[in-house]
Amino acid sequence: MSEAPLLEVTDLTTHFHARAGVVKAVDGVSFALKRGEVMGLVGESGSGKSITGFSIIGLIDPPGRVEPGSSVKLEGRELTGLPPAELRKVRGKQISMVFQDPMMTLNPMLTIGTQIRLALEAHETVSGAEARRRAVAALAQVRIPDPEAKVDFYPHQFSGGMRQRVAIAIALLHRPKLIICDEPTTALDVSVQAEILAEMKELVAELGTALIWISHDLAVVAELADHVCVMRHGKIVEAGPTPDVLTHPQHPYTQALLDALPSRSEPGTLLAGGVGSDVAPPPRAVKQAPPAVADAVHYVRIEHVAKRFAQTPGIFRKLAQKAGLSKPPSAVQAVDDVTLVLKRGEALGLVGESGSGKSTLGRVAAGIYAPDSGSVRIDGAPVMSAGEPPHKVTTRVQTIFQDPFASLNPRMTVGDSIAEGPLAHELVERAQAKDYVRQWLAAVGLNPDFADRYPHQFSGGQRQRVAIARALAMQSDVVVCDEPVASLDVSIQAQIINLLIRLRQELDLTLIFISHDLSVVRHLCDRVAIMYRGKIVESGPAGEVYDHPQHDYTKRLLAAVPVLPGAVTT
Amino acid sequence: MLGHVAVRLAQALVVMLVMSVLVFVGVYAIGNPIDVLIGPDVSQELRLQTIAHYGLDRPLWEQYLTFLARVLHGDFGRSFVFGMPVMELILSRLPATLELTLAAVCGAALIGIPAGIYAGYRPDSFASKLIMTVSILGFSVPTFWIGLVLIMAFAVELQWLPAGGRGETVSIFGVEWSFLTLNGLSHLLLPALNLAFFKLALMTRLARAGTRETMLSDTVKFARAAGLSEWTVLRRHVLRLIAIPLVTVLGLEFGSTLAFAVVTETIFSWPGIGKLIIDSIQSLDRPVMVAYLMLVAFVFITINFLVDLAYVGLDPRLRKGGAR
Amino acid sequence: MSDASPAARFWAEFRESRTAVIALAVVVLMIGIALLAPLVAPQNPYDLANLSLSDARRPPGYVGEGGYTHWLGTDAQGRDLLSAILYGLRISLQMGLVAGALAFTLGVALGIGAAYAGGRREAFIMRVIDLQLAFPAILLALVLSALLGQGKLQLIAALAAAQYAYFARTAHGAASAERGKDYVEAVLSTPLPGWRVVWRHIFPNCLPPLIVVATVQVANAIALEATLSFLGVGLPVTEPSLGMLISNGFQYMLSGRYWISIYPGIALIILIVAINLVGDRIRDQVNPRLKR
Repeated sequence: MSEAPLLEVTDLTTHFHARAGVVKAVDGVSFALKRGEVMGLVGESGSGKSITGFSIIGLIDPPGRVEPGSSVKLEGRELTGLPPAELRKVRGKQISMVFQDPMMTLNPMLTIGTQIRLALEAHETVSGAEARRRAVAALAQVRIPDPEAKVDFYPHQFSGGMRQRVAIAIALLHRPKLIICDEPTTALDVSVQAEILAEMKELVAELGTALIWISHDLAVVAELADHVCVMRHGKIVEAGPTPDVLTHPQHPYTQALLDALPSRSEPGTLLAGGVGSDVAPPPRAVKQAPPAVADAVHYVRIEHVAKRFAQTPGIFRKLAQKAGLSKPPSAVQAVDDVTLVLKRGEALGLVGESGSGKSTLGRVAAGIYAPDSGSVRIDGAPVMSAGEPPHKVTTRVQTIFQDPFASLNPRMTVGDSIAEGPLAHELVERAQAKDYVRQWLAAVGLNPDFADRYPHQFSGGQRQRVAIARALAMQSDVVVCDEPVASLDVSIQAQIINLLIRLRQELDLTLIFISHDLSVVRHLCDRVAIMYRGKIVESGPAGEVYDHPQHDYTKRLLAAVPVLPGAVTT
Repeated sequence: MLGHVAVRLAQALVVMLVMSVLVFVGVYAIGNPIDVLIGPDVSQELRLQTIAHYGLDRPLWEQYLTFLARVLHGDFGRSFVFGMPVMELILSRLPATLELTLAAVCGAALIGIPAGIYAGYRPDSFASKLIMTVSILGFSVPTFWIGLVLIMAFAVELQWLPAGGRGETVSIFGVEWSFLTLNGLSHLLLPALNLAFFKLALMTRLARAGTRETMLSDTVKFARAAGLSEWTVLRRHVLRLIAIPLVTVLGLEFGSTLAFAVVTETIFSWPGIGKLIIDSIQSLDRPVMVAYLMLVAFVFITINFLVDLAYVGLDPRLRKGGAR
Repeated sequence: MSDASPAARFWAEFRESRTAVIALAVVVLMIGIALLAPLVAPQNPYDLANLSLSDARRPPGYVGEGGYTHWLGTDAQGRDLLSAILYGLRISLQMGLVAGALAFTLGVALGIGAAYAGGRREAFIMRVIDLQLAFPAILLALVLSALLGQGKLQLIAALAAAQYAYFARTAHGAASAERGKDYVEAVLSTPLPGWRVVWRHIFPNCLPPLIVVATVQVANAIALEATLSFLGVGLPVTEPSLGMLISNGFQYMLSGRYWISIYPGIALIILIVAINLVGDRIRDQVNPRLKR
């Protein structure tokens, strides 16, 4: 192996010079990449992995700067310090890049063909016909069906996966020696991710392109990379061949990352990383003493629920439709006649890909949306009133949302956010409210003194703890969790999962847990329901569904999940 | 597509109808028009006669229907002040205003958009800061005051340009135009500049804001990562991405420029409809007011309609079906 | 991380722009001067005892009969221009702020109300607002003030009627965006009464873009009032705002007595530019697309 490396990064340092001080986003990173090699660059958010990618191709915007002393050599040629015009000749030609969100990268105003032509013209002179021919060939290469016609399409006419294929086609146009992919499948559904991973593997093997795959997902990297670098706080803490790093990690951080993954633990057990709290939640107010349960087996009943989203056309639109001049707007049947029954204390996982209607169903169950038909009852009592418009009449079901940055009112202290509902419903006296909030903060593993702080002063994981406290402070029996750990880093995700496991046991909570992540659901839930296009296609005890899926869709979904070497297979 | 146009047209018609009601009620129901028509010293008999003659004794809805029927025939009545048909009066003044407005809007767009794109592309350069300083002045300084300063500087002190009037005109199809003669152009320059100043600032700021945001977007980053030159990025990506808000504002601003012409025409004694409406408001010449407001409403609704169609041309997302 | 409330953080970020801080200081100073005009003005320009026609239309620096130096000259009635400007500022600011506050209240109530109500009520209210927005504010104010007649209250009504739609549009947009956010859905799922959701949760979070509109609209109201007064359909002669002063001096401009029109104009412009600079800073601050 005496071959000179294709890319040699030495002591790469990228700092952001803000008024508040210098942020060392990338802090002395060194690695080398051979021709045709696939390297995984793994880390949690803020580890500097994306900035490393952008630093290599020289696309760091001020106030960021690649510091002197850094070196990026492509086939022995130093790239740092090149004048912009020279660097531009390298970009797209020798090193290209694919970004995370395919919805944002392509220009919605230009056809795919035009965008490919612009990328071609950046490095060669081509005639219109030649550009078109090459565009069609490029689309065909990334397995886009009917490329002759698709070349005239606009981005909005493609799905997310197809758009990402187009972006990959553009990145491959000039047969670059290296492609940097920055979380290219993170925004996609798991089945689409599986397709793109498989295609990417074939393409780089076929073209001999080297690849840097930046990701937070160890399992995805395991599928693809020969070589892995683990980043933390701007530094590479561990590097080595993929199987070695993932099965025999040397650095405690890598070990902790792996241990935090639910797929590597027995379902239902606490994950490594701790709960962060062993304080019991405050007792229920007398007024809200748990009522005698009438029917514990059919505790939550979601019956024949349907919800449809359609624009109501104005009077002219209606007339035009009648006259045949205009088509009726396409309505979306988000939830289509769904019936689900939960036992008291049960945790049901609601699994599906984007657009499956799982979040809508969750919001109907929580009384945020009124269903068009059907009903939701908790222990026999309806969640929504019968009036027009219907409104929520129970406090027994509460919700935890996905985005910790959006789920708290930024202009209220977290203490006020937690106390507001209980005060309004007289679950707690005003005089006791402060103590009540402190007890809840302690119960979710936060310092009780944080009650006076505002959401922006907390990290994502801490905010999610606050959101849990807010939901449970309503002394609810049923909690709808809508992807509560989806936007959290693995280690934080483990803590929140642990917290939910513990609180569920202590409070005898019934959970509806919505997620696209099969391993998290497997870990946390007794039962799963698989949702596809508004319908439940399969449901049953978690172990049974995972091991012996019946429905084709469930089988495909399970097969698409990337698996880590050494994961517990159940 | 055809359905879309039909729906928009129908909506435009209803809006026009609603406007006519509002304008009619607004102008005729407030105050007593009869006091303007005849002096206070005429006999009671003549007074009643006049009221009956103008149909002012009938219920308001009946008056409105009569009014509407006449308007549909293009008859807005006679001006109380000028004693001639309002339609004729307005049509004779309209070209002057249109000429002024078009010159102002085109000038503002041609200078403002490139300046704004530059300022958004290099927000920290000296030239950008200068552009933004001028634009905040243009945005803030009232039109009438700029007019005064222009007159004082170029007409009174330097005596380079005339302070008012239209100058020599050339007649094409019976309509007089100033911009075809040198003398007419010299008369047009100051008022057009005056009227354009605010629009210029607005266009600059809008183009700058759009460019700044777009330059930070993933689309531009991806284009740069593919090796596109900065010029191509600006011309092919940024310009296309900021075009829609610019066209919207350009359309809407044409209408508001028409309205602001009131001020400019007053200052520069430009014989357009703006000057006419101010005179009519001061003399409470209601038929002229009604006709003017209806005309502005009509121009507005037409422009909105055209802007709407322009969207479809500009934004492919409105043209073909959505995501599959 | 600081221990600050969102408002304190907002101010800390605002302070980073020196231009904006200076502009804000100018606005505050001008409001202060306007409030204290009777105390700080060298003369009461509307006390007839102070006027003498022999002092009329004198250039800046002229020493009047009372031995008093008119630093900015005198107007056609022999009033000290500086004093007249200070009093005019008071009237102009009053008109701008009162009309702005009125338009804000009306517009925000309609806009947030529509966003919260949803359905046909929302569609109807917003249709009307859009219709009005399509009509230029200056024309609306012009016609309204002509129809309502001259007077302070009439003009305030006309200005507010011409401007509330901008607030309504912005409030509606912001409230619709906030309404779809998780934290609002969380309080809806609590559940809390509607008024509480609007007042405690939606409204405070709609404030930043509304403050931007408010600065622009107050500046616009002041400019609009000046324009209307200049055109002779604004305030009555008994309320000499800055616009009126400019208008009064217009006829002397062509004869070279520039100061009667120019100095009130400069005062007006400093005020409007300062307000717009403050607004610009806040606009950049609240634009999430400029945050990286």
